[in-house]
Amino acid sequence: MSRTDAVTRILFEAFPTAEVRLFYALGYTAIGIFCWGVYVQIRKYRRGTALALEGSLWSRAGDMVGKVLSHRTVNRRDHAAGGAHRLIFYGFVLLFLGTATITLQYDILEPLFGIRFWQGQFYLIFSLVLDIAGIALLVGLLYMMYRRGWMKLPKLDYARTDRALGDPDFLRPEYRREDWAFLWTLVIIGCTGFLLEAARLVWLHVQPQAWDTRWWSPVGAAVAEALEAVGLTAHGGGVLRLSLWWFHGLLALTFIALIPFTKVKHIFTSAASLMVRDPKAAQRLTRIPATQQTPGVAKITDFTWKQLLNLDACTKCGRCHEACPARAVGAPLSPRDVILSLREFANAALESGSLPPEAELGVHGKAPGQVAMETLWSCRTCMACVEICPVAVEHVPIIVQMRRKLVEDGAMDPLLTKTLQTIHKTGNSFGESKRKRGSWSKALPFKVKDARKEPVDLLWFVGDYASFDPRNQKVTQTFATLLHEAGVDFGILYDGESNAGNDVRRVGEEGLYEVLAESNIASLAGATFKSIVTTDPHSYNTILNEYPDFGGKYPIQHYTSLLKQLFTDGKLKVTRPLTLKTTFHDPCHLGRFNKGYEAPRDVLKLLGCELIDMKRCRDNSFCCGAGGGRIWIPDPVGAEKPAQNRMREAAAIPGLEVYVVSCPKDLTMFEDALKTTGNEGKFVVKELIELVREAVSAPQTLAVPA
Amino acid sequence: MSGVLVIAEQRRGELRPVSLELISAAQGLQGAEGGTVTVAILANSPHLFLDSLKLAGVDEIVTVKVAAAEFDPDTFETAVGALIEARKPGVVLVAHSVDSFGYAAALAAKLKLGFATDVFKAEYIDGTLVATRGGYGQKVNVEVDFPGRDTVLLAIRANVYKPPDQPGDPRISEFAAPATASRSGGRDFIELSSNDDVDMTAAEFILTIGRGIGEETNVAQFKELADAVGATLGCSRPIADAGWLPKSRQVGQSGKTASSCKLYIAMGVSGAIQHLAGMKHVSTIVAVNSDAGASIFNVAKYGVVGDIFEIAEELRRLF
Amino acid sequence: MKILIAVKQVAALDEDFEIREDGRDVEEEFLIRDLNEWDDYSLEEAVKIKEASSEPVEVVVMSVAPEEADEVLRKCLAKGADRAIRIWDDGLEGSDPIAIARVLAAAAKVEAPDMLFAGVQSSDQTFASTGIATAAFLGWPHAAVVSSLDYSPGAKSAVFRRELEGGLLQEVEIQCPAVLTIQLGINTPRYASLRSIKQAAAKPVEVRTFTDLNLSAGDVGESGSHSRIRRMYIPDKGQAQLIEGDAAAKARRLAEIIREFKGDAA
Repeated sequence: MSRTDAVTRILFEAFPTAEVRLFYALGYTAIGIFCWGVYVQIRKYRRGTALALEGSLWSRAGDMVGKVLSHRTVNRRDHAAGGAHRLIFYGFVLLFLGTATITLQYDILEPLFGIRFWQGQFYLIFSLVLDIAGIALLVGLLYMMYRRGWMKLPKLDYARTDRALGDPDFLRPEYRREDWAFLWTLVIIGCTGFLLEAARLVWLHVQPQAWDTRWWSPVGAAVAEALEAVGLTAHGGGVLRLSLWWFHGLLALTFIALIPFTKVKHIFTSAASLMVRDPKAAQRLTRIPATQQTPGVAKITDFTWKQLLNLDACTKCGRCHEACPARAVGAPLSPRDVILSLREFANAALESGSLPPEAELGVHGKAPGQVAMETLWSCRTCMACVEICPVAVEHVPIIVQMRRKLVEDGAMDPLLTKTLQTIHKTGNSFGESKRKRGSWSKALPFKVKDARKEPVDLLWFVGDYASFDPRNQKVTQTFATLLHEAGVDFGILYDGESNAGNDVRRVGEEGLYEVLAESNIASLAGATFKSIVTTDPHSYNTILNEYPDFGGKYPIQHYTSLLKQLFTDGKLKVTRPLTLKTTFHDPCHLGRFNKGYEAPRDVLKLLGCELIDMKRCRDNSFCCGAGGGRIWIPDPVGAEKPAQNRMREAAAIPGLEVYVVSCPKDLTMFEDALKTTGNEGKFVVKELIELVREAVSAPQTLAVPA
Repeated sequence: MSGVLVIAEQRRGELRPVSLELISAAQGLQGAEGGTVTVAILANSPHLFLDSLKLAGVDEIVTVKVAAAEFDPDTFETAVGALIEARKPGVVLVAHSVDSFGYAAALAAKLKLGFATDVFKAEYIDGTLVATRGGYGQKVNVEVDFPGRDTVLLAIRANVYKPPDQPGDPRISEFAAPATASRSGGRDFIELSSNDDVDMTAAEFILTIGRGIGEETNVAQFKELADAVGATLGCSRPIADAGWLPKSRQVGQSGKTASSCKLYIAMGVSGAIQHLAGMKHVSTIVAVNSDAGASIFNVAKYGVVGDIFEIAEELRRLF
Repeated sequence: MKILIAVKQVAALDEDFEIREDGRDVEEEFLIRDLNEWDDYSLEEAVKIKEASSEPVEVVVMSVAPEEADEVLRKCLAKGADRAIRIWDDGLEGSDPIAIARVLAAAAKVEAPDMLFAGVQSSDQTFASTGIATAAFLGWPHAAVVSSLDYSPGAKSAVFRRELEGGLLQEVEIQCPAVLTIQLGINTPRYASLRSIKQAAAKPVEVRTFTDLNLSAGDVGESGSHSRIRRMYIPDKGQAQLIEGDAAAKARRLAEIIREFKGDAA
């Protein structure tokens, strides 16, 4: 036999048969415990409600594999963690594949078919790769230890925002313990693996097969040299090897057995969660199934199996906690803690043989595991959490589902209750008569077409705030004038338009949403038009993504794309370039929800403005705080508002002249925050439409409204 | 049927001022052939109120001694009913008040009287008695008449008519009302006290906030403004009901009357009739509201249509 | 045990409303209808009593109104009422509160409740009479402007507070069954979600005519009313001097007025 042909590692070398059998017995036991654990988890998910997935499982699997292999979701907003986790992931995967390869030959191919491949060149390269994998794993783990132990990242602080010092689940030290146990276990497994390698080499020093090829396991070889240098004999090596073998083996088997019972299960649950994700989770909420008796979620078993799986996918990375605007201003909401609370609840309630009585399954309240009303009502449904989550947890739909139950019970702030009743009665949140919806157009020198009565090319869905709020009415009038000057054939629905319902739905009043959607769709059905434009990102989101479920599918764009098109087509021309220093606030429902980041920036460029983006921009844009119905809920006295937090961020831009928005609620919130943060006079808040107006001079014949 | 019967109101030993307003309302309603204005006072000790009722325009005061110490519906229905049967007046005037809410409609139903409430003008037009009241939340005026009714009961809105200012010398008589088995009885009176010892009735300069302020967190801004301009902060009913300000600061029918007020600034107040009841008599009323159609502008001397927060802020700067 | 509640669908005026040709009412198209605000409170009070009682209590809402009132009756069903009754017939057109009360009393005699609630007044016509007139036709004890209530279903008496002028309250004890008119603020009416309202739409509204109740045409409508509308008109608005300009200019004028006043007062 040539040296390279035969070189391999003899498994269980010098083990008495009884020990081998013992090992196998322990191995099967570990696998058995693992399977039992998996069964308990799957049984738990099946205790949720049914849900059919859209799209083919194959494309979902492909998408998931792509995400997992590229690690692009883990890399976002934290490249260091992304890099370190890649090392851990690939290291672990390779090591696992390595063991699987050995098992494949040793337990299956060789005894059944006499095939041996784990030898010779293959074996040597195998050993090298695994050593590198081991190093990668350890480096990644050590970085993670440094990260958790020394960097004191706020997003890894487990203190809850909805509990106080002294509450039992305030600090959750058991999470920290589990994190460190996980890290240490893997580190020890890794290190003992190398030590074991080294010990074997020392023990087999006399065998040229082993010793001469030792540098194919560079780490093992180096450690072996070191061990010999400190006087370890071959005999000593053998003893060390045996004890380390068992230690390493038992530790690894225990680790595997405990996967479904510990944080380690994220290996499967996170991947599964990525596979079953709804790419439009927060943009398009789901209707209440006809079969469902009470709306929303009251009990833990009202969640779908997918949502229960989401709860287990969370790895406490804290990105959602960091991104949440409510959490940032001290509100009792952290998306992370909603998920973790519910996870604790689900584990306690759904992992035993039989289900507890229904009365104990309620998830609303202040007991550990439950979610309080104040927490749910703090949410702005800005989807920062959903968007950044590396493992596709869908927090916003979970919160909205729980809100549906609160709404049914009438457990809302009185101002919100009143607003919902007002919207039902008048179709708008201002309580104004429907007849006044188009009143803003009376000030214009031309008549805005009534799309209910005559066909138009472009139907402009104006929205509540743009129609009734005095400050926003000015913007609306300006936009109408621009459209008119550009020669666009447009019209509005006048009284036929009601609140589009986006925020009503996100408050959880699904019944009222249906009424609004059906009413608007009926109005649209009665009108003849080619496409819709809207100045309101919330209306844009719901008409684009949610109206199709109600039978209303229309081509719709936000005004920023339309303006860009008008400039490109030459229908609007910049005659007075503005050399202003601006920053752009991406509105949640246009930017993060529907990826509309570029059009407004292109328009600003066309106008000649200098754009300096804030740190939290585009997908990480910081919500103004008005979404999710929060504009209809009073803020706690004395607390910072998200809009104020954002203004301070903008104020840090040196020489900033204009803070540009393109959403009516943003305009309202930020103009207010400009004053209350003391920045009035330093820079101004302007709608993009207003800047366009300044840059595009009116034709001689038209008077511009004051 | 001729003549006017006025039913005076008393509570806790005091004659309620609206009773005197009714006397003025009665003038001109006596009808044909020398009808008289008779004022009836129902009380445990009715003679205690005689002096306050000896006013010009009163032809007769009838004292009606009743067993009940304070108002109860059964007592009034029986006594006033008997008085109406005995005197057969053409018009009976009561105040549009909480007490009359408790019995006037029952009386009108039982005795088949012509009936209208919250009347702010009553007169004869071409021999027909016509009463004017509000409709659709006081946005329209409605004239009503009472075809085929010999006696008409009208509940007159308070603070519309001025009490007579001259003394008079009416005839005094007694009326023995039949005994009543009252099915309800008033017990204690309760004043809503609060830590806030402000007396809205004594304030000369009041700044009132209403529903237009939106959220509780905005109250502070207006409190500051009131302090800055030297006004007493008041509120309309919704604010007090929501607990944003103590009830002692509520101005209106079921709150306080701004009796001493000379300058009244109402911000974000729509002007519901119940609120107006407490302040529309003030000589200078300034209304600030974003809704140009708010009823408050009908009673205001100066009107500002605009954003109350902006204006509050600007005003604050000037003090 | 049964509590009967008289409710009304009231009408508010829309923008730019017009008076009808005959001058006695507003054009129909400008009327925006909804449940009377006071009835929200009286219904809630009844439902609270029902929920607090260990005995079963039936809460029945009743309205004398044409078909469009079914909407508010369904809203009441969504808010906790068990049954809804509507009484209508063309002969009831033009009924004033006393004529309506006659009908309500006749229907109440059939239902034989333990208590009858009504709102103090309706937000549109503010007569503040219907509940108390109904009590007269029933011959029941009655009281108005109840701001808090202590009553157990079937009890022989109840204790309540009535809200007097000037923020004063009076505690009163009354024999039951009785008619009480309920004031705003006595409780916090619950929210009825659109879903529950839609589900209540499946529940029936029992419809009666006044002939079912042994009333004759002379008892109701204009002939049964104790007043008649001659004319409805839009009053002249008061003359408020409007202060113009931007916010700063308006504030300056206000400050002037305040300083003038203080100058006088000083």
